[in-house]
This record gives sequence, structure tokens and C-alpha cells, in this order.
Amino acid sequence: MSAFPRTIFHVDMDAFFVSVEELFDSSLKGKAVVVGGQRGERGVVAAASYEARKFGVHSAMPLRTAEKLCPHAIFVNGHRERYIEYSQAVHRILTSFSPAVEMASIDEAYIDMTGTERLHGPPLRAADALHGRIKSETKLNCSIGIGGSRLMAKISSAKAKPHGLLWAIAGHEKTFLAPLDVRDIPGVGKVTEKNLQNFGIRYIGDFSRYDEAFLEEHFGKWGLALAGKSRGEDAGGWFDSEVGADSEPKSISHEHTYNQDTADVAKIEATLMRLSEMVGRRLREADLSARTIQLKLRYKDFTTITRAQTLPAATQLDTEIFEQIRRLFHKNWRKFSEVRLLGVQAAAFDEDNAQADLLDQGRRQRWRNAMLAVDRMRDKFGESSVSLAAGIKGGFRERTHENPVELRSTFGDKDKK
Amino acid sequence: MPVEAIASVAGTSTMEITLSKQELLRELTATQGVVERKTTIPILSNYLFEAAGDKLSLTATDLDLSLRTSCTAKVKKEGSCTIPARKLHDYVKLLPDADITIKLLENHWVSIRCGRSNTKMVGMAKSNFPSLPVFPTTGVVKIPTQILLSMIAKTGFAIASEESRYTLNGALMVLKPESITMVATDGHRLAHIERSGEKFEGVSGEMKTLVPKKAMDELKSLLDSTDADTIEFAKDDSTLFFRIGGRLLTSRQLTGQFPNYEAVLPKDVSKSIALQGTELMAAISRVAQFADERSRAVRIKLEKGELKLSASSTETGESEDSLEVDYNGDPLAIGFNAQYLLDFLKATGGTDVKLELKDAQSAGQLRPAEGEDYKYRYIVMPMRI
Repeated sequence: MSAFPRTIFHVDMDAFFVSVEELFDSSLKGKAVVVGGQRGERGVVAAASYEARKFGVHSAMPLRTAEKLCPHAIFVNGHRERYIEYSQAVHRILTSFSPAVEMASIDEAYIDMTGTERLHGPPLRAADALHGRIKSETKLNCSIGIGGSRLMAKISSAKAKPHGLLWAIAGHEKTFLAPLDVRDIPGVGKVTEKNLQNFGIRYIGDFSRYDEAFLEEHFGKWGLALAGKSRGEDAGGWFDSEVGADSEPKSISHEHTYNQDTADVAKIEATLMRLSEMVGRRLREADLSARTIQLKLRYKDFTTITRAQTLPAATQLDTEIFEQIRRLFHKNWRKFSEVRLLGVQAAAFDEDNAQADLLDQGRRQRWRNAMLAVDRMRDKFGESSVSLAAGIKGGFRERTHENPVELRSTFGDKDKK
Repeated sequence: MPVEAIASVAGTSTMEITLSKQELLRELTATQGVVERKTTIPILSNYLFEAAGDKLSLTATDLDLSLRTSCTAKVKKEGSCTIPARKLHDYVKLLPDADITIKLLENHWVSIRCGRSNTKMVGMAKSNFPSLPVFPTTGVVKIPTQILLSMIAKTGFAIASEESRYTLNGALMVLKPESITMVATDGHRLAHIERSGEKFEGVSGEMKTLVPKKAMDELKSLLDSTDADTIEFAKDDSTLFFRIGGRLLTSRQLTGQFPNYEAVLPKDVSKSIALQGTELMAAISRVAQFADERSRAVRIKLEKGELKLSASSTETGESEDSLEVDYNGDPLAIGFNAQYLLDFLKATGGTDVKLELKDAQSAGQLRPAEGEDYKYRYIVMPMRI
């Protein structure tokens, strides 16, 4: 880390999915809108408008709960392609301000603005210019937090919402943070909150009553990280790394919840094929190959199992992923039990296999070429334009999340300890 | 099983035998490999003991494989029982060299007496023991023990161990009236051995059998320890049978199609290099110390009069070895998994070999330099380097 004082922006799009939907349907403006699926369907809320949030609706909540809390809400399906398109547009604007940009998820990004004063002026002026550019070019609102660390930037942007700017001036971090709730620290969830309360820590300022040794004793490494965070430092895990530094994901996964539980093998296999395709596509997009393929299976009664298989060689091919997933499913499924949710995960990323195969006679290479061609068609005509035959019946609307699971886990996992 | 039914109706569940410790231990040791290790089905951790006439039959099975063997015994009361296999083996090993008396007690307990040692083991009802396939009366083929043993040793290592390619989890045995062939592959390399000039009675046309890896391993150790010159092989729809002396190994058949290996046997290898097996093995072993741990890639560079072997990894460094060879063709660089090459060189026991190559993308072939009685070839796919 450079000794030069850092200036980090955290740009967080306001109600991103909802705002994008509003661009396509202006009648949604100012209304309680829930993105993620239709009324009465299963699945979870991907995003809620500010109007809907007033009623307690928030993302990752079951759609049916949202319906109960906010009966008059308008339910709309998510459109992943639209969000990606707008996310990319925002990304383009960000990179024109600084080369060090890191998209933390589809709708938020960190930008390292250190040393750009001569180009963009002081932080607040730069942030204002950026704010204006995003609004004029995408018609979308965002909030920008400015701080000397990622953490300060992120906390500031949360406080700036909606459509605001907030600069946490360097040197005043402790005073700024002291009155804030511990839950305002990214990564502090219900569990940590409760544990902290046992020591009388409710507000970030309360940390100053304990020394690091005490916190480490009771919370381990996470305790040390919390102590650092309470002073506004980027402490612990991913927060330590430079903005834009190598931040490859650890796993790629897709899940599907059925609207109606099913024990129909053909239907289940079609879903698994479709999920395998989605995972394969993301692997190729990120230019990664996975050695471990994992199945997630949730039954009607919510009992959930995950089973993984390590491959002899890393893969990014839908067919090879599906082959493993299918085997895992049949090996572990309680026959005739109704399935509620299926998930496919690829992990343990590795270099693609250097060992040539004796028996496939170039089949693998041909598959890879075919898959890349399919990817290009999907880029052009949409996700459902091409599918492997087995996956056609597995077609479902992709549910998109503002906080994809794999990104959320960088924060949330710490809570599990 | 009518016999069992009668016995249980009559309530005569008895058994009492006396036999030599040495003889019992020999058979217990021979059958240990077949006893189920994971005790998901408890009865599979047990032996089935059946005493009749003047012998004791022992059977072990893990449902995929079963092994039945016997030893002479003084049978005082005919009958049968089951005994935990591993515990019995461990215990009998520790007994003095004397006669052992085994007797079935109530509740499936079994008493084992030897000299002044006295033990009662907890058995299980023998009715739980799975019924086993019966050796067919027709279509039995005799195979010379040494030939089969040698073929297994020269191909078994190439069988895929990954469950994910299950049709490769065995070797293909092809019997013809005058030849026997065995092929194994894991998709990266393939070992192929053929022996002709034999006479296999009862084989007409072509008899193809996929022998599972587990059966191959078990067969190898059984063949290793037998005095019999030939073994008997037979199969029915679902089971393979190998009778080796007094022991009978059965194996569930692998379903699925073994790949069309003939299509991948190289036809046009333009470069052929004669190499000393021991020298090559030593050189590969040395440089492989510095190969990437996972890929095990070594590079072979062929130049006029010289074969260079090298490997490198960011963690350990780099290493090179060079062999003098009689080669005048174009230079060529090709990568291979060191382990694959070593497996073959071990199997050929250090005899001189021929390495045959086409180009950096095509399969390489290794063969013993001298033809001998077997036609043995080993095909290895290269690695990108």
C-alpha cells in the first residue's frame, strides 16, 4: 500500500434494478416496485424500490413475504441483460475517471482516485462531476462515498443515499464513525451484532473501550479486523487489497427454485442442464476452468444437501459440468422426493488441462469452439437464444440479484465464523 | 436356498471344526482384499464359514467381488456361521502354530479355541449373507497363469482410477481361439498387449470381457500366489468367474462400452529412437523431481544424436538430463506426463525400449525393443508445453 494518502470513491447505484426497469416503463416511477418475479411465485426479491422498502421489503426476501408486506406493489421480472448493459455503461464512465476501478457487484464499484487531483480537482468536485456524468449518460441515480479507505467510502455512500455525495474527511474517521450503529460496518450481520451487544458494543465508538487483544480473544481474527474497521481502516480479508487488484472469484454458481416442487426426473435434469450451461458460460466469460463441481439440492421440507465431485482435469464445458452434476444428483437424490431448489457450483479454479486426450479425438476442442460460438450468439440475441437440447425444457427466467451470493460472501461469511 | 431353509426349520444351526492355524491364516490372508472396508452393510465385513465333508469353505464379498476359498478341516459337526473378517484375521495371526477349534454357539456367537487361548466372537445370522453367483458349467476357458499375470502387470496401471470415466475403470480382455489381448486406458495413455500362438478351447470368434480394476488387482495377487499352471475363466450375463486353484473369484461385470481403442493406435510414427530402459527411467525420475507437481510435465527434446529431458517449476527450479541416441531426423520437442512414462518403464523392468513419435501434437508410442512372445505397446498422449 502506498504511503500517499488515498482517496477512494465508492459508487453505489440507487435501487439499481428498479431504476433500470423504470427507464423501460416510466409508469413504474415513484411506485412500490418489486423486481424478481411475479406475485404468488416462489423465489426471492432481487430488488425493491424505495417506495416498497418503506413497507419493509428488501432484497433476498421471499416474494411471498414481500407480497404480504406490500400488497399493492407492482411485481416485475428481472432482466439480467438490461442490468449488465447499464452496469457496463457505468463501468465505462468510471474508467474514464481513473484506471483503478473495481466492480464489487453489478451495481457498485470502488475507484481509487488517489493522485487525480490535478486532473479532476479536489475529491468533492471530482465526485460531483462523476455523479453528473452518470446521471446524464445513463439517466440513473447513484450515491458516492469518498474516504481514505474502501471502508470509509462504502460507509459514506450508504449514508449519502439516495442520490447524494458524502466525503468523510481524512483524520476525522473516528468522530464520524463513533455514533454509527455497528451494523453499518460491512460484514457485521445479525450474529456479530448480537455477540458484540454481549460486550455492550452497539455503536462503532464503543469499540474504543476495548483493546485489540481483548477483541482478538473473543472474536479471533475478525475481532482484530473489527478494531481496525472501527478506526476507519481497511482491515481484514478483501478490504485489505488495492482497488482493482486481482480479485478473481472463488466460485461460480447458479441456482433455481421451482415454482412448484417436482420429482419429475426429466424436468430436474433439464434444470440441471440449464444451470450447467449458465455456469459454463460464466466460466468461459471469466476465462476460468473449474476442477470441482458441486450440486446443491433442497427438498420440499427444506433439508438441503451439497455434494461435490473433483474432476481429473479442470473444465469450462457445459457438457462436462452437466455430466458430473447429473451423476451427483442420481447418486444423492432420495428417489421420488420432491425437489424445491437446485444449484450448480463450479470452484477450485485451475489452469485448463494441458494433457491431451487419447480417446476424444479432438471432440473436446470442437465442443469448446461450439460453446464459444453459442456464447457469441447469446451476447447478440439474448441468453435463451441457444440452448443444449437437454436444457431447453429447463428454461426459466433467470433471477438476478443485486448482491450475487459469491460477492456477498466476501462480507457475510465472517458472520458465520 | 432349500438346504438353508431345512436347516433353520430343523433348528440345527451347529458347526464345529478343527483345523491348522497355518492353513486357516493362509486363506484368511488371501481373502482380506475382498472384505468390505466401509461397513455400510455390516454382514459384508464378515466371512461366511461353511463346513462340510472334510473341508471348510470361506467366502468374503463386497457385492462387487466375491472370493471363495477352502482349507482342509476335521469337521465334527457340519454347518455354517459368519465371523467378522478383519478381527478374525488379526486374532488368528497372533495365535500359536497349533490346531484351532471353531464352534458355533447360540445367538451367532462363535468360539475360537487354540491351545490355552479361548475367544468368543460376535457373529451375525448367516441368512443375511448375500447369495453368490454359481460357476457356470459351460463355456469355461483355460488361460495359462503366467500369461494372464504378465498381461495384467503390463496393462493394469493404465486403468482409470477416476470414477468419472467409469467405462475405463477396467481392462478389456479379448480372447480368440489362438490369441489373448488385454487393453487398458485412462484416456491419456493406453497399454495394449497381445499374445498369439496359444490355444484357447471353447472360444469361437471373439470373446470380449471388461474386467473391473478391483478384480484385476485381486486377480493379480491370487495369480501371484498360486502353483496352478492354468486358471479357469467363465462368465454369465452379469458375472465374471476366475477359478485359481482352489479359489474362486467372481466379479460383477462392468456395463458400458469400452472405447474403440483400435482407432487410436498410431499408424504413422515417423521417428523411432532406441533407448536403454534403465537409463531412460533414471533420467526421467531425476528431472521429474522438478516438474510441476500436479501436471508432472517433462519435456523431451530430440536433436541429432541426442535426446534431452527437462522439467521446471516456479517453486522448485529446473533440471535437465541428456541421453545419447541414434537419431538423424528433424528436431522435435514434445511434453509428457513423467508418471505415465515411468509406469511403462517399470512394467517392462528396464529392458531396452523404442520411443516412436510423429509430432508434438500426436500420441507417442513406447515398445520393448525386443519382440519376445508378446506384442506390447504403450501409447501416451502429449501435454502442451
